[in-house]
Amino acid sequence: MPETPNEPDFDATKITRPAPVLLTYYILVSVPTFFFALPVLWFRYLTLQYKFDSEGVSMQWGLLFRKEILLTYRRIQDIHLTRNIVQRWFGLATVGIQTASASSGPEMSIEGILEAEPLRDFLYQQMRGARGETEPSKAASNNDLTVENRSNATELLQEIRDNLVLLNQRSEE
Amino acid sequence: MNDTVHATCVWCYEGTWLVLTNWFRVPRQPPTLPVTDDSVVTSFRPSDNYLRYLKVFFWIGCLAIDICLAILWILIAIAVPLVGLLITPLMLFIMIIPDVVAYVAIHLKFDTTWYVLSNRSMRIRRGIWIIHETTITFENIQNVQLTQGPIERYFGFANLVVETAGGGASAEGEAHGQAHQGIMVGLADASEVRDRIMAKVRQFQSAGLGDDRHAAGLSGTTIGFSAGDIDLLAEIRDQIVRLRMHESKRD
Repeated sequence: MPETPNEPDFDATKITRPAPVLLTYYILVSVPTFFFALPVLWFRYLTLQYKFDSEGVSMQWGLLFRKEILLTYRRIQDIHLTRNIVQRWFGLATVGIQTASASSGPEMSIEGILEAEPLRDFLYQQMRGARGETEPSKAASNNDLTVENRSNATELLQEIRDNLVLLNQRSEE
Repeated sequence: MNDTVHATCVWCYEGTWLVLTNWFRVPRQPPTLPVTDDSVVTSFRPSDNYLRYLKVFFWIGCLAIDICLAILWILIAIAVPLVGLLITPLMLFIMIIPDVVAYVAIHLKFDTTWYVLSNRSMRIRRGIWIIHETTITFENIQNVQLTQGPIERYFGFANLVVETAGGGASAEGEAHGQAHQGIMVGLADASEVRDRIMAKVRQFQSAGLGDDRHAAGLSGTTIGFSAGDIDLLAEIRDQIVRLRMHESKRD
């Protein structure tokens, strides 16, 4: 698992369930709809599960109609962290993850995580281009190494040739 | 006199921020970006020109609405003087309070908008009720657009739209926090920021779509000889040297 230097105590792989505060938030959210939306949200809270591994993240929920979303960190295009005022009071946030699909909404909205900012930064570290393993400067340093190797090899080859030349001269004599 | 006015303004401003940070949990500091190496993180707000632009439109809208309300009020007062007199406080309330709120909101909108650039990525924060933060790495950027209208040109700022792969978002859409794009509104040095971002984007050779993590490293090492090859060659040389020694001994 690649490390996250800024948050040493934060471990995303330990996240499996949303925080219990999320249920309170869902209840508050369903107030404007006179609690019509609450059953759906309640079951969503009960069945919501996250799984962060070394390559990607999956999220599943649903009681009757189940849904599971899987994506790899490398395919993340942009990360959105959205906090409305109620979420801020509860310390919650929605982390929206975008891949390069045609939908305008985020492919995965991670809700109910109290350590949303460390999580966001963790995802950011796993994103392409965040740590620059494909950056030109590193490739150049790799090239430098190979150039050095190559010159060593050339020297060796020259020695071999010289020795062979000497050998040939001996046998001719 | 001016000093007291200024002090009062500062006091009001700080008080508003105190309410925002304590009750509404609005962070006052700019967002940060995690950086692995010692690269510099620069954070900035939209330019002051953008604030002036917002305020001009505020005054225009404010005047238009208030004049309409005043005409309505005068008409009522002429038709039924008693009712006109009775609704005076109400009319004044409707005319003044929304303007004050809007004025404060403009300032807060300006103050809570942050753009952060690091060596590898950018982060945009905006919003008061709903705080929205977008993080995009330069490697994923597909294109950068710079837009400027005539009025925006007069005020001396431009808007920058940074897009990543994927659809679903209109480039000109004013709806903030749209998918697959980061909008940087009101930059005085927009072309400078654009050049800075594009310089980074050009460095990356990949298509910006989930290329293999180790691709660059592997292609680097396949050129030339590996360490094992060199050992092998050294062995060959030693063998030949030994052969030569034998030859010389035989002679």
